[in-house]
Amino acid sequence: MSWSRILRPMAYLTVGVMLVVQLYPIVWVAAASLKTPGELANGAPFAMPAGFYVGNYIGAFRQSNLLRYLFNSTVVAVLTILITIGLGAPAAYAIEKLRFGGAKIVLGYFLLGIMIPIFVTLLPMFQMFNAAGLRNTYWALVLPQVAFGLPLCIYLYTGFMRQVPDALLEAATIDGASDLRIFLTIVFPLCGNVTVTIVTLSFLSVWNEFVFANTFMTAASMKTLPIGLNDFVGAYGKTDFGLTYAAIMVSVLPTLILYFFLNKRVIGGVTAGATK
Amino acid sequence: MSRSRSASGWLYVLPALTLFTLLVIVPIIWSLSFSVFKWNGIGAKVFIGIGNYVRMWNDGLFRRAFINNLIFAGLGTFVQVVLGMAMAILLMSITKFRDFVKVAYFIPCVISSVAICQIFAKLFALNPEGVFNALLGAAGLAAWKSAPLSDPHLALVIVTLVDAYKFCAIYMVIYFSAFMGIDAQLLEAAELDGANWWQRYVHVRFPMIRTVFLISLVVLISGTLKGFDVSYILTGGGPGAASELVSTYMYKTIFNSLNFGYGSAIAVFLAVECLLAVAIMQRLFRTSGQEGM
Repeated sequence: MSWSRILRPMAYLTVGVMLVVQLYPIVWVAAASLKTPGELANGAPFAMPAGFYVGNYIGAFRQSNLLRYLFNSTVVAVLTILITIGLGAPAAYAIEKLRFGGAKIVLGYFLLGIMIPIFVTLLPMFQMFNAAGLRNTYWALVLPQVAFGLPLCIYLYTGFMRQVPDALLEAATIDGASDLRIFLTIVFPLCGNVTVTIVTLSFLSVWNEFVFANTFMTAASMKTLPIGLNDFVGAYGKTDFGLTYAAIMVSVLPTLILYFFLNKRVIGGVTAGATK
Repeated sequence: MSRSRSASGWLYVLPALTLFTLLVIVPIIWSLSFSVFKWNGIGAKVFIGIGNYVRMWNDGLFRRAFINNLIFAGLGTFVQVVLGMAMAILLMSITKFRDFVKVAYFIPCVISSVAICQIFAKLFALNPEGVFNALLGAAGLAAWKSAPLSDPHLALVIVTLVDAYKFCAIYMVIYFSAFMGIDAQLLEAAELDGANWWQRYVHVRFPMIRTVFLISLVVLISGTLKGFDVSYILTGGGPGAASELVSTYMYKTIFNSLNFGYGSAIAVFLAVECLLAVAIMQRLFRTSGQEGM
């Protein structure tokens, strides 16, 4: 046991070093966003701010469309999550519990989507949305993200529904409940945990999404936070650093807040999703 | 409960199936068909057969992007496996603050690639001096100060490391949960047999999470082969084509050069490359798994 005498303190020390590495960039930008223009111009880049200066945040909101970007990102995230679950949960229910002819093939077909790089669909989507007048509308981000989100959503739901005993559903059928009623009042409520996992995972991926938004949203008023932030840095990044740091923090804070409350779901969901 | 009502079953699946087919499967076929034409989007499409694929073969920029992408995938996978495993073992070896540390380590994974890239761009900047150069100065190495993102020898490595930094904690939580799932009796038995800390890893823990480890390799390699965000946002593939990847080259070919046919061929190449890599790895792992038994 003399091993652990030496190893334990070493382990805690290494854990601490790694903690600094993993958190440093975000702590640094949080600190930098609170510095006054004077501190930013003359102080060392790794110094802590002297006070709690919020001028950069006020300036970032005043001089850019940040509020609009926040709104756009929120609309896209909410619509994408609602539609993904609205389409994915019934599909999983039919595959796993109604067991219609060809259900297994349909499941395999959906799971194919997990391996397909979005890049091979970009140009055709661009032309489709262009022809349908959907570019620079929320649908241009919602529809592709629902389509690419469905495989994981259906995978997670079917995995859980497999554990729901058939006897339970049969009892309800005998009592005269329809398939739809069974889904709405028994199966879907039972899936609460899976639903929360899917909501958090979709939120993170939609909130942070870059490629679709960069391709389909060219109008300034329709940009989401990541794209808006990239533009903002292009416009102010070379001149007003304080505003840039504040804008980065505004884009990151919603995910950090969500993560603060739901970190177990996020980590559990990522583990379940990645090792499928 | 009658479970043969196919019609109603299909009704539940149909909306999801339609959207998925229309926006994932149909575009693939569409891209495939674009890839045999020379076409700039407005003029007439000229059928050139495998001409675009031949052009890829002879295109020095494409070859550069492809080789860069192999380095990005190889180095990125290696770094993420090592960091992920190291963090998982660190978590295993502490008892206090374990949940807190795990949650904190995972934070870079929940932040957008745009934010991560903008932060690192500032950390590496030369003017105004970022933390990286300031530290070099403080360490008396002022002569080494540089703008590494504009250095053709460093850009690809930095892009790879920033991407690895953003995602490595995913592999930490995967390995950690696999370690935690190992039957405690096995570890107790090994301890009774006199196995020390390291021997318990080598002889019990590593072999027990072999499947999860191999799956993580598949996820990592197929993920890094289609890497895009960090290269596009942090360096724009530059300087020159120093950090260009297959996906960023494809994106520029289509949306900047409006070379729709050639860009589609590269997109098809990328999809086939990813599917092949997954298929080959699954095959390799299956045979090696049987030998192991």
